[in-house]
Amino acid sequence: MVAVDIRLAKPVEVVTSAEGEVFDVELEVNILRENERLAEENKSRLHSKGVHAVDVMGSVGSGKTSLIKSMISQLKKDLRIAVIEGDVTTTIDSDIISSEGVPTVQVNTGKECHLDANLIRKALDRIPIDRLDLIFIENVGNLICPAEFPLGSDRRLVVISVTEGPYMVVKHPMMFLGAKVVAINKIDVAAAMGVDPNKLSADVARLNPKAATVHTSCRNGTGIKEVIEKLELKNR
Amino acid sequence: MHEFAIATSLVEALLELVKKQSASKVLEVHLSVGKLRVLSIDQLKFSYEILSKGTALEGSLLDVEETPGYARCTNCHYAEKLETDDFSFHFSLPQMTCPQCGANLILEGGDECLITRVRMIAPSASSAVPTNEPR
Repeated sequence: MVAVDIRLAKPVEVVTSAEGEVFDVELEVNILRENERLAEENKSRLHSKGVHAVDVMGSVGSGKTSLIKSMISQLKKDLRIAVIEGDVTTTIDSDIISSEGVPTVQVNTGKECHLDANLIRKALDRIPIDRLDLIFIENVGNLICPAEFPLGSDRRLVVISVTEGPYMVVKHPMMFLGAKVVAINKIDVAAAMGVDPNKLSADVARLNPKAATVHTSCRNGTGIKEVIEKLELKNR
Repeated sequence: MHEFAIATSLVEALLELVKKQSASKVLEVHLSVGKLRVLSIDQLKFSYEILSKGTALEGSLLDVEETPGYARCTNCHYAEKLETDDFSFHFSLPQMTCPQCGANLILEGGDECLITRVRMIAPSASSAVPTNEPR
């Protein structure tokens, strides 16, 4: 963890301060400010190099890695891409992604359930951002915590799958608020799961009318092109 | 689950403040936390207790005031307070279109995560330094 900025927003108000006496300090210290500041720094650093970054969020097993891999295989002939892979311990995801032949940095969060801006700052030091157009940041599989820690990406893709059941969206509303695109994945098994993907799309539209919803299947390639289009990854 | 990370930042900020104020001990810490931060206050307190052991913060009271969030219309004056469900960290969001005029609603407030007041014991004679630093 990095040092926390504690500049006082309000004047310090000392009630009593004689030796050994009790005194109060009133202040407005934003506990999350340091992460927000680092996220802004990451964002301007990427922006100055003309690099776009997509933060990919979703549960364990929703298909984040498969979707990133599918997008890379369609985009890599036109764009220079790298991937930052966040995971609690393993390198399984980065091994899958590196088979696409793009630079991959594995970030293991250890005890933490989310990536934070400081980890991304360190990861950016390890990839050639001068020679890149696009970075995918795959967050740890978790639908609660990552929404609280901005990383510095300029767009967010949330991946859910029909195998997670019909209440995925309504149960985790915060995750969908900042999303540019929501992929409803594993659409090929929706009937077997008895889950109506249109109902999931409607739930997303209710929470975030601006988000585009795309039905995808990484197994048969459905919707991958549309995710790329809606994320506006080719317009540069 | 992110309570431990936030408690870590909290303890770091407080220890910095203790240093700045040359306080010998912290008695109370007051926070203002928005309900939309989805923090479990019990877990936050538990993490704080563990992390403050052996520091000037040990044994201090952590008091958390939760502030509500609102869904506000971008067009008319409609606003609605977001109510939490059965648990303080579980809530459902309303339809994000205005029931009065149909425009988009945006979330407002409920996202604070602030230290608002800290009660400390002033330094003892041996380590006395000014508590009111010029800024």
